[in-house]
Amino acid sequence: MVQPAAGSSRRRGDPVPALQRVKPNREGGWGLLMVSPYLLHFIVFVAGPLVASLYFSLSDYDMLNPPRWQGFGNYERLVGDPLFWKSLGNTLYFAVLFVPLQTFLALLLALALNQRLKGLKLFRMAHFIPVISSWTVILYVADAIFNPRFGMANEWLTRVGLQPQNWLQDERLAIPLLVFIAVWKGIGYIMVIYLAGLQNVPNDLYEAAEIDGAGAFRKFRFVTVPMISPTTFLVVVMSTITTFQAFEQIFVMTGRGDFASAGSPNNSTLVLMLHLYREGFTFMRMGYASALAWVLFIVLFLLTMAQMKVQKKWVHYE
Amino acid sequence: MKRNAGPKTGLLLWMSLMLAAAGCSNGNNDATPDSQPSQSAGAASATSAPPSPSAEPAEILLGFYSGGASDDKMKELIDRFTEQHPHITVKTQSAPYGQFFQKLDTQIAAGEAPDVWLSDGVYVMKYAERGAIKDLTAWIDRDLNKDDYYGLDFNKDSQGKYWGVPQGIQVGVLFYNKDLFDKAEVAYPTDDWTWEDLKATAAKLTVDAGGKTAVEAGFDAGKVNQFGLTFFSITEGWFSVMKSYGGGVLDSSGQKSVISSPENKQAFEWMVDGMKRGILTDPVDLKSFQSAMSVFPSGSAAMRIGIYARVLAANEAGMNYDVALLPKGPSGQRAAPVIANSWVINQKSSDAKAQAAWEWIKYWATQDEVQKEWTALGEAVPVKKSVANSEVFLKANDKPANRQAFLDSLEFAQTLDVNAVWEEWVGKFNESAQRAFLEDASIDDALSEADKNVQQVLDGFYKK
Repeated sequence: MVQPAAGSSRRRGDPVPALQRVKPNREGGWGLLMVSPYLLHFIVFVAGPLVASLYFSLSDYDMLNPPRWQGFGNYERLVGDPLFWKSLGNTLYFAVLFVPLQTFLALLLALALNQRLKGLKLFRMAHFIPVISSWTVILYVADAIFNPRFGMANEWLTRVGLQPQNWLQDERLAIPLLVFIAVWKGIGYIMVIYLAGLQNVPNDLYEAAEIDGAGAFRKFRFVTVPMISPTTFLVVVMSTITTFQAFEQIFVMTGRGDFASAGSPNNSTLVLMLHLYREGFTFMRMGYASALAWVLFIVLFLLTMAQMKVQKKWVHYE
Repeated sequence: MKRNAGPKTGLLLWMSLMLAAAGCSNGNNDATPDSQPSQSAGAASATSAPPSPSAEPAEILLGFYSGGASDDKMKELIDRFTEQHPHITVKTQSAPYGQFFQKLDTQIAAGEAPDVWLSDGVYVMKYAERGAIKDLTAWIDRDLNKDDYYGLDFNKDSQGKYWGVPQGIQVGVLFYNKDLFDKAEVAYPTDDWTWEDLKATAAKLTVDAGGKTAVEAGFDAGKVNQFGLTFFSITEGWFSVMKSYGGGVLDSSGQKSVISSPENKQAFEWMVDGMKRGILTDPVDLKSFQSAMSVFPSGSAAMRIGIYARVLAANEAGMNYDVALLPKGPSGQRAAPVIANSWVINQKSSDAKAQAAWEWIKYWATQDEVQKEWTALGEAVPVKKSVANSEVFLKANDKPANRQAFLDSLEFAQTLDVNAVWEEWVGKFNESAQRAFLEDASIDDALSEADKNVQQVLDGFYKK
């Protein structure tokens, strides 16, 4: 027993002298040199485009001709653009429905799948399959249900004597339906995060609670919820960012082979990213699209800051 | 000391490299404004005389969108071109439609676009009015006999300048499914139909889930299984109806909306009534199909307005169909939508490259062999009249039998009020039209809303 332990400790010690042989006059210099490949990448692919997009947002830029500086014209235009406000409203509406619903349902699902069940892995896997499917695949599955002419949903509705709906073609139903589908697709991922969180809750807390006479609900309310609140916080921040970046789903599901009509009906599913895409790449107003991107960034930044502030009130760190 | 200098110099080297890299890209950005002509300058310099032909060696980049069979044929034709023009080397850049144009726009921005490219007909003005392509008027005047070709005028702007030479032409006609007509024992469309005649026949061909037609009592317009006419967006939808009713979207300058007119209202009444009665597909009906294009080939509609390229899908589906002229409006006026997908030349190409690119365009348009081989692919109506009017295009044994209808339609063909902001105003118009089609708005409200929004789009570009 002694022999291998000594050997392994020597091996563990080996790199230290090697590192000590290198003695740069300033540690920072070496550090910079070592991260320079990353730094180069950062400057060329992150900082550069960032500065460029800021410049574009202050210019009139149609992509085909060089940008012409025009100050805050794009931002002024943005304030008076009804579609910007509509798309911001749609995005917020999407987020307000999506984030709580997905978080809550994912937690329920994680609790259900945190038990000792037969075929547990199968259940967990089944819920993860939509996560790894592409939106195009999801579109076809959802279409089998919500197609206004051939879908199952309308068949069921008419069977129980209700009016068939136009679903995605209905201004009132479009966003709630998109949220429903997004939750269905995204829930598996959040569930996995929650499962990890749940497994980190020490069992002795539950035992202590039981001794104090807590039932299942009280254990959940006073042990589980506070203990996994950092996970919940992570999930909420992540989902909020995801909804603000939502593009592919809406582009694919409301466009359906005619991408010019994405965001229909009557712009009721036009979200910020889709508006940005249309302005920049279809209508060739890259300057304005850049301004939209910066506003999107600011909105997200403020939202995340607010979430960080509020978290002190409800997130419990050990 | 010396030992320490190593890493320090290394670091400096790295830093300066990074700065150089960053500096370089800035340098390029700064250089672009000078080398790239502004909108007005581009138009001005473009009117200068074409460089005279020369045998100077030149390498050109040729861009086109395509897929499968057309890609192979294009490469074959390019090989033959370089054989005939040994001093010209051709590099190609091709991609499926969507990717091609996305890449193209970024390439133009970077000054790396092809010297000559195939532009969708509806995008020619987008590039022309932004100074990205050359004015070809002088070249066309010099080298092409305009009477020999179809569609040169489809790329002419309101000032009479030509911006491209058609690669192939798409013109709209009325497609009809003979089997569905025969089954309903209804006479085939004739060339003197009006839109009202069409609707009356279409009603007999509209069948609901219970097997009743739109002319029978108890017909359920909410559960149509087979539509009389499928109807989609501008080209294969509202444009020709509005035009043949005497209305339209833009005036001849392309900068003013003329949407609020009694003629347009009349055309809309025809459309909205047809949708309400389930005879025409409305926007919700269309979305329930895999694509708006699949309604007719799948046999779910008896008729469609279709451009020539739709022949491919119909033939692939093995349909028993034919085509006829599009119906007339109430006062006998006709209008067929037309798109001339065209070769255009990069504004920034050097004279030698532009000259070589022009050689390619001439080769494409003038040589019978090229025209014939391209026609055989069946994607477009050929540009050269002699080829279009020959057996190569009119193929007696192939469907549709009445291919002459495409050529006859060119007599009253109208471009889709194409201008620099075409895609955007079409989107705005569609939004309002959809509200009328789904009866969320009255026709008057929808038209005045469209008028306002379309004018706003136009002003946003032209009155800056």
